[in-house]
Amino acid sequence: MPAEPDVTRELKEILSRYSGASSDLIPILQEAQEKFGYLPEEVMQRVARFLRLTDNMVYGVSTFYAQFSFTPTGRNKITVCRGTACHVRGGARILKEIERRLGIKPGETTEDMEYTLETVACIGACALAPTMKIGNETYGQMTTMKAAEVLGAKEKAS
Amino acid sequence: MAEITATINGRQVKAKEGMTILEAALESGIDIPTLCHRPELVPIGACRICVVEVEGSRTLVGSCHTPIAGGMVIHTHSDKVLATRRMIIELLLASHCGSCYMCDKANICELRKIAADLEVGLPRFQMRKNYYALEDISPYIVRDLTKCIMCRRCARACREVAGHNVFGIAYRGFDTKVVVDFDQPIDKEVCRDCGVCISFCPTGALGKPREAKEEKRGKPLIITS
Repeated sequence: MPAEPDVTRELKEILSRYSGASSDLIPILQEAQEKFGYLPEEVMQRVARFLRLTDNMVYGVSTFYAQFSFTPTGRNKITVCRGTACHVRGGARILKEIERRLGIKPGETTEDMEYTLETVACIGACALAPTMKIGNETYGQMTTMKAAEVLGAKEKAS
Repeated sequence: MAEITATINGRQVKAKEGMTILEAALESGIDIPTLCHRPELVPIGACRICVVEVEGSRTLVGSCHTPIAGGMVIHTHSDKVLATRRMIIELLLASHCGSCYMCDKANICELRKIAADLEVGLPRFQMRKNYYALEDISPYIVRDLTKCIMCRRCARACREVAGHNVFGIAYRGFDTKVVVDFDQPIDKEVCRDCGVCISFCPTGALGKPREAKEEKRGKPLIITS
């Protein structure tokens, strides 16, 4: 686990663009998540103080949404679709294959902080089922072979 | 305030404008069970136990937060309403820990009382429970979230009555729970001994630490047929 990043300066920069209305909470959290990769407790505390909310209000909002993470995430986020269409066309096998290759379960991060594996209920590309995403790139009509290939290519590129 | 007339259970009832259906009903001697509602707190209509039928309304409405209007025709104990209330209690019981024998607050438990009133026994649903560790490190308060029914009375009482803001609601869906700070067990650092939330908790989720030889509070609930 890497040490907690020094959030003070970067967070100040983010907060300086907001007026401090409580409706700014989610945009701030999104920016902080983008910047730090996850939401450290210190960030949530500072955001709470900035918006004059209590810590547990901020915590309540951020745990409600699946987009926020509280443990450091990897550099690449792999999202495997577990929606109906993808399931019918073998989405479970794709997930299994990636789990096997990376040695992690959904919600976990590889030890080298390279990949975080996630599942999602539908990414909205059912015509391309089964689908997966790495970062913002979508891969359609996956097979276990193709999943392995994509992962391998990523590995080589990095 | 203008006075209005509505019909509750076939009876003409006078009420003041701005009253909720629940208040008007209570004032004319009609009892509607409530769980998440307390007169001291702002109603949130979370538990739905207090639902009533209003003629012309598409759905049942929560009486604790719906203002009464002139000419409303309300049924507080129709078959539909009772079936809905029973269903809600069954669902609550299906995720409630069910260890009333061991529970200090069993005799003053509002959930148990309403379940008995509505003649709800074992729920017909699959029991699905969230087990949490008992939090008893604080000398002032013992928290057992397994017994929590998410009425949010503790959180609202803490904010609205005690003026603190110790509790928050976090996570989503079945995992929703009342949290303290960043989901820490409740200890004396965050919460002092005001005990407001304990008196507001309808179940045994919040309680005082039990002293030696202390008896269970309240009279045993005896169901007479």
